[in-house]
Amino acid sequence: MDKKKLRNDIILIASLLLVATISLVVLFLTRNTKDFIAKIYVENNIVEKVDLSSKEDGDYYIDGLKGKLHIRRHNHAIAVIESNCPHQDCVHMGYVKSAGTPIICAYNAVSIVIDGTSLNDVEI
Amino acid sequence: MRKLIVTSLLITTLMGCSKVNNTSKVFCFDTYVDITLSEGNKNNIKEIENILKKLDKLSDNYNQRDLINVFSLNKTNEEVRVDKDLYEMIKLAYESKNEGAEYFNPLCGSLSKLWKESLKESKVPSQEEINLELNKMSSSSLTFKDEYIIQRNGEAEIDLGGIAKGYALDKIQEYLKSEDIKSYLINGGESSILLGEKKSKDGYYTIGFRDVENAYIKVKNCFVSTSSKRTQKVVIDNVTYSHIINPKDGSAFNENDAVVVISDKGWYGDVMSTSLMMNTVDEIKQIEIDHDIKTIVIKDGKIVYHHEGIEVLKH
Repeated sequence: MDKKKLRNDIILIASLLLVATISLVVLFLTRNTKDFIAKIYVENNIVEKVDLSSKEDGDYYIDGLKGKLHIRRHNHAIAVIESNCPHQDCVHMGYVKSAGTPIICAYNAVSIVIDGTSLNDVEI
Repeated sequence: MRKLIVTSLLITTLMGCSKVNNTSKVFCFDTYVDITLSEGNKNNIKEIENILKKLDKLSDNYNQRDLINVFSLNKTNEEVRVDKDLYEMIKLAYESKNEGAEYFNPLCGSLSKLWKESLKESKVPSQEEINLELNKMSSSSLTFKDEYIIQRNGEAEIDLGGIAKGYALDKIQEYLKSEDIKSYLINGGESSILLGEKKSKDGYYTIGFRDVENAYIKVKNCFVSTSSKRTQKVVIDNVTYSHIINPKDGSAFNENDAVVVISDKGWYGDVMSTSLMMNTVDEIKQIEIDHDIKTIVIKDGKIVYHHEGIEVLKH
């Protein structure tokens, strides 16, 4: 009886380890460094999610607090192309593709934050 | 027994799959500072936020805030007793010209404001206005006395914009060392970054360049300071004006598009990256030798120079 119990325990442990190993291998193999999403916020509310893993270019027009922003997806990156803000800091940021680099248009209360795994930890 | 083994295995497996970071985003120094700690707890985050907020208040030259800060100092020529950190920051900034920062002058406050206000209205200040500010700078000075007393002599205003974030990162690094936290990334709006060791095989963080396609470097346990004219430049009549002002001739023209400095002191990296925007590559090479820093110089979308100790990689 004890031998049978021990054998079952070993089988259980081995099965769990096998499942864990397979999961890790699958996670590693399917990990895509360009699989990330840009979330566009207006006053802290998400108004659009842009899939940056897509190879296709895309244009998005967002109503900010004081005007419309033209946002473009290109080559796995995102940028504000046009904004009515006075300083144009958001436009001058250019294309961003790092999770650590948000684009902020304070004038229009719009922020673009990239979630997920980007190529680099930081972009400068 | 079986239940115990199964529970332990499940917990171990789940813990192994999860990666917990303490993160926070703080608005200070006119930008968002991202704090990521792969070790430590919420109290550590709170402490770092407090360091940032305090130094942001001290270095503010536009608003009074609730303590004696740069704004207060710019309103008087009297002796003023200030916070130890403000005293140190101003002293380091003022004496940095002796450390290779030829084009860094903390008394450029009113000159910078003149340019900022003019460019905001898409105007270029007249040479007469610029000369007036340069005269103020050359006839002004700072006196440092015991007990953290500072006296501003003359009309030129103090501006710590080119040093405050780096200095704050120095204080954060001191704190993290005292707490024995080794894995962290503090991103001060890209221009000032403090990196510890990443929780990865080699411990390196990767830093990409938005001006240079696919290029990146691997760094750890250092400060990375960047000055770039890209984000805040203004084009008027096809002429590009930078927000980084040359304190010698009062112009808004820079020799380089961006300069990255890798150093072991945040304040020094920040000061040098600003100053080196006006130096030629040959001058930068000599400064690297004299002052033990590593730089990357970017011009026209290309890395035109990097220190031999920095390996620039491609994705």
